[in-house]
Amino acid sequence: MNFTDTIAAIATPIGEGGIGIIRISGPKALSIGRHILRTPKSGLFSTIEPRRVYYGYVVDPEQEVTLDEVLFFYAPKPRSFTAEDVIEIQAHGGTLVLSKILQQVLRSGARLAEPGEFTMRAFINGRIDLVQAESVIDLIRAKTDKAHQLALSQLNGRATRYLQQIESNLYQILVNMEALLDFPEEGIPDLEKARIQTEISQIIEKLQQMLATVDEGRKIREGIQITIVGRPNVGKSSLLNALSQEEKAIVTDIPGTTRDIVDVQLQLRGIPIVLNDTAGLRETDNPIEQIGIQRAEQSLEQSQFILAVFDISQPLNDEDRFVLQRLEGKKVLVVLNKADLQHRLSLDELSGYHLGDPVLVSSLTGEGIERLEQRLVEEIGVGNLQVDDRPMLSRLRHRNALETAIEALQSFNFGLEQHQSEDLLAVDLRSALSAIGEITGKNVNEEVLHGIFASFCIGK
Amino acid sequence: MQQYEVIVVGGGHAGCEAALAAARIGVQTLLITMSPDTIGAMSCNPAIGGPAAKSHLIRELDALGGAMGQIIDRSYLNIRTLNETRGPAVAALRAQADKRLYQAEMTLAIERQPNLQLKQGLVTEILVEQGRAIGVGLKSGRKYFGKTIILATGTFLGGQIVMGDVKYSGGRQGEPAAIELSESLKRIGLELRRFQTATPPRISCRSIDFTRLSPQPLQRLEWGFSWNGLKEIREQMPCWVTTTTRKTVEVIQSNLHLSPIRNGAVSGKGPRFCPSIDRKVLKFPDKTDHLIFIEPEGRSTEEMYLLGLTTAMPESVQEQILATIPGLEHAEIIRPGYAVEYDCLVPFQFYPTLESKRVANLFTAGQLNGTSGYEEAAVQGLVAGINAARKVLGQKPLVINRSSSYIGVLIDDLATKGTDEPYRMMTSLAEYRIFYRLDNALHRLGEIGYQCGTVSESDWRFRQGLLNAANELEQFYQTTKVRMDASLWTELKLPPPNRGYRLNELIIRPEITEESLLTYYPEIAKYPLPVRQYVWNELKLEGYLNRQRSDYEEVSRLEQIEIPLHFEYNRISKLSQEGLALLNHIKPLSLGQALRIPGLSEGDRALLYIYFNNSQGAA
Ligand SMILES: Cc1cc2nc3c(=O)[nH]c(=O)nc-3n(C[C@H](O)[C@H](O)[C@H](O)COP(=O)(O)OP(=O)(O)OC[C@H]3O[C@@H](n4cnc5c(N)ncnc54)[C@H](O)[C@@H]3O)c2cc1C
Ligand SMILES: Nc1nc2c(ncn2[C@@H]2O[C@H](COP(=O)(O)OP(=O)(O)OP(=O)(O)O)[C@@H](O)[C@H]2O)c(=O)[nH]1
Ligand SMILES: [Mg+2]
Repeated sequence: MNFTDTIAAIATPIGEGGIGIIRISGPKALSIGRHILRTPKSGLFSTIEPRRVYYGYVVDPEQEVTLDEVLFFYAPKPRSFTAEDVIEIQAHGGTLVLSKILQQVLRSGARLAEPGEFTMRAFINGRIDLVQAESVIDLIRAKTDKAHQLALSQLNGRATRYLQQIESNLYQILVNMEALLDFPEEGIPDLEKARIQTEISQIIEKLQQMLATVDEGRKIREGIQITIVGRPNVGKSSLLNALSQEEKAIVTDIPGTTRDIVDVQLQLRGIPIVLNDTAGLRETDNPIEQIGIQRAEQSLEQSQFILAVFDISQPLNDEDRFVLQRLEGKKVLVVLNKADLQHRLSLDELSGYHLGDPVLVSSLTGEGIERLEQRLVEEIGVGNLQVDDRPMLSRLRHRNALETAIEALQSFNFGLEQHQSEDLLAVDLRSALSAIGEITGKNVNEEVLHGIFASFCIGK
Repeated sequence: MQQYEVIVVGGGHAGCEAALAAARIGVQTLLITMSPDTIGAMSCNPAIGGPAAKSHLIRELDALGGAMGQIIDRSYLNIRTLNETRGPAVAALRAQADKRLYQAEMTLAIERQPNLQLKQGLVTEILVEQGRAIGVGLKSGRKYFGKTIILATGTFLGGQIVMGDVKYSGGRQGEPAAIELSESLKRIGLELRRFQTATPPRISCRSIDFTRLSPQPLQRLEWGFSWNGLKEIREQMPCWVTTTTRKTVEVIQSNLHLSPIRNGAVSGKGPRFCPSIDRKVLKFPDKTDHLIFIEPEGRSTEEMYLLGLTTAMPESVQEQILATIPGLEHAEIIRPGYAVEYDCLVPFQFYPTLESKRVANLFTAGQLNGTSGYEEAAVQGLVAGINAARKVLGQKPLVINRSSSYIGVLIDDLATKGTDEPYRMMTSLAEYRIFYRLDNALHRLGEIGYQCGTVSESDWRFRQGLLNAANELEQFYQTTKVRMDASLWTELKLPPPNRGYRLNELIIRPEITEESLLTYYPEIAKYPLPVRQYVWNELKLEGYLNRQRSDYEEVSRLEQIEIPLHFEYNRISKLSQEGLALLNHIKPLSLGQALRIPGLSEGDRALLYIYFNNSQGAA
């Protein structure tokens, strides 16, 4: 762990009213700020005075695109939270934008802060006392110990194999190089520099593709997972469409229309949400529908919040009861749909399941949808449902790692062109591999040693 | 009853450096060794340096006032540079030693060293009182008492010699093992394990058909291992090269069942980087042309060493193997190859000062600590010698930091990570290789050596001269404008510049060599070689050095944050049980060392960081 570099993270829990703060702390804070912040007229800030709130934009300086409209201020050391130079940027674009800004900050020279690291720095620099600091230790222990493991588990199997393949190709080159360096006069084959250069270029390309998919992956998965369940035809798909204000899911009057999970990412008053529409739960012989139902049940198990939909125009039936049994121990909001029709459902039986006050809506007319949104936000907030930021963090770690690796490999190839000596080329290759190792958990020194003896007949 | 201040057991490479260092610092030192005839003996290859990191170790040792560099500079048969094209960080030196001359020079150095007494004797016992070592007992019954003891017994502890399926007691061929001492060490609470190593046959020079061999080219060097400079330019003797053949591999394959690695005669763990030819054939069966270097062992002997042909097969098989190798068809073996299996310490029993955790005032160095190689042994000897003397004098122990040198990397690896095979230094073991170069060893360690008292006043004056010259030359590069006259630029195939360049800006370009500058700036040539190399590399590598510098400096800073010797880790609340156990086992002496302990969790590392980084800041 390094405690003298510049760190950054999203400092507020994601989702509170859509406003988030990105905090940057360390020696490079101000220069990073200058690099990415622009005045309302798109100019550079000529001076950034301490403790003054500025209004402006965060941009991606390379792509010349604006990421968000922000407020920010600068607190120089030692009069800041961490006693280091700190820049805080307040943005309101929701998670996606926040994480884009964070990425830009990381790309400009900061490192992603470990959980609790700001507090730790505050302690180290004498801003807070040990008792206060100790409270963050549990957090650190809980999170950092799992960080590597998590980082890898967040990649899907194919991506993992892909990265491991790249890693092993890079190790082959490094091991050859290191064997040459440490064992002169042992007849170890010289590096085929031209071939290596092409190989490295290909690897750079592959890593760049991976970077792109890291972003793709986030779009689908980020946010609180909410699953809509209910028996067929109660109007689940219609509800999804109503909430997302899009015709995302197919709606028909045929029970069993939805077969696979349909998900939409949306923001409810700043809270990022992934809404999953599922196949109606019931007993069925149709194999395709069965698979859909299995997936629905899985989604029900895994998601953090459930919208249980019932059709108020029909009395409760066995299929509804089948659904109700599956809701035990879950965070549930009961939605009574088709409020525009005649109410035939008896609330007495429902209340026996202790699922809280139901919300009455009509997905057809839009009546009650706003109230539903309101209730959802309350339930999520009041129920202390923590946003699970780990997948996002580890994806950011991936990004960081991949970007560092790409940069190092580009420098490696440049070195090759410049006919730099192997000991210097090894510096770049090693830093690329140690970046990839942050995801795969491999230690460069150990791998090299092992590799040298496994691949070459060395020793006299 | 005479009381010594430092008693060194063993006159090998570790023991010699230990004894010389302690005596130079000025404490009364006794060196006890089995036979004064084998002081500084090269048990295996008569060569110093070679693979990159070994020559680095010697330059570092020399900067700290060790002897090996000066002695090999006076006793080489040939001396060469290796790896020059592979880059400044790995450029290396290799000297073929006249092994008898080396021994004679080392013996003389010991005999003439003030404060140092040499004594023949076989040590059988370490005398311990209340957890502190107080002396040694000899086979003869004699006891010697000392305030500190340094053990440097090499391959001799419980040594067993192996050839084929024959196995008998011995520390080196023809020399007895130290059996009782192993038992004594166990009694005082040290844990031992078995390692193993082997050596190739030596053959008679006149039996070699040199017409079938090619000599390795000789080089004339300006500078050798020692910072004192190559004082004596000697006439050189070359090494010769041949290779094994398909037939060699067949002979070995058909006799593998007789190899100790197969017949179970050796149980100890051998060095991966010094595999026997049997193991090479077993592991890489398709390779038939293994390089064999035929190396002279001295001017006063006809013995030739066969580098690459290590084996402990039965002597008859060794003869068959030689018969298949061009030039060696009629080779007469003088000394057959053999393996030796010996006791060494289970890891984590000493601090980075090389003092035992279990028995105070007892230091260990060399092969006994789990390493292999003369250079590796020598540097540990020096560190143990310095620390034993400092302990006697009541001075603060010296820890050579991992961030300062390969010596630091070696000792830190042993003390923090441990090793499960004989440990040998390699440049790839260092995280910041380009910071540890042959040319800057004096900059890194010279001052420490002088402060320790191991470098004499007159040597130090000379070395300071080198350091000053380096400053001067650096100034020269930084202030001299490159002449604009076209010839230099056309010669370099560079477009003429559109502005005034200084020399230091020019040499960053990869195509610029020192040679290309010398014609235009002949004044550079007046500086001694290592000075020129140092300045050149510092300027040339600036970009790479700067890229790693902040990381490197942070690591160095953590090394400076000390952890008290008997620190009670349960004072840090919330450390995990596993973390506590690890810390109490390793007993790190610095925060840097603590943070490197394998298996320590991130949470525990953060806690240690918070605790020590801050208490240091407050102090
Ligand atoms: C057969 C063989 C093969 C080897 N092969 C290799 C190789 O391939 N690569 C490599 O790097 N290294 C090899 N070595 C190892 C190399 O020789 C050692 O690493 C190096 O010499 C260790 O130095 P040292 O000072 O620790 O011990 P040594 O050089 O072994 O010196 C030990 C000294 O202690 C003395 N001594 C021991 N016990 C006592 C006692 N009880 N009382 C008094 N004196 C005592 C001995 O007489 C000896 O002088 C080999 C050694 C041998 C013997
Ligand atoms: N009147 C009225 N009809 C609705 C309402 N919501 C849905 N419907 C109708 O009910 C039928 C079923 O709607 P879906 O949204 O497909 O129902 P589902 O629960 O997704 O059904 P499956 O996918 O088959 O499980 C359609 O004909 C909708 O038009 C509503 O609020 N009012
Ligand atoms: Mg549907």
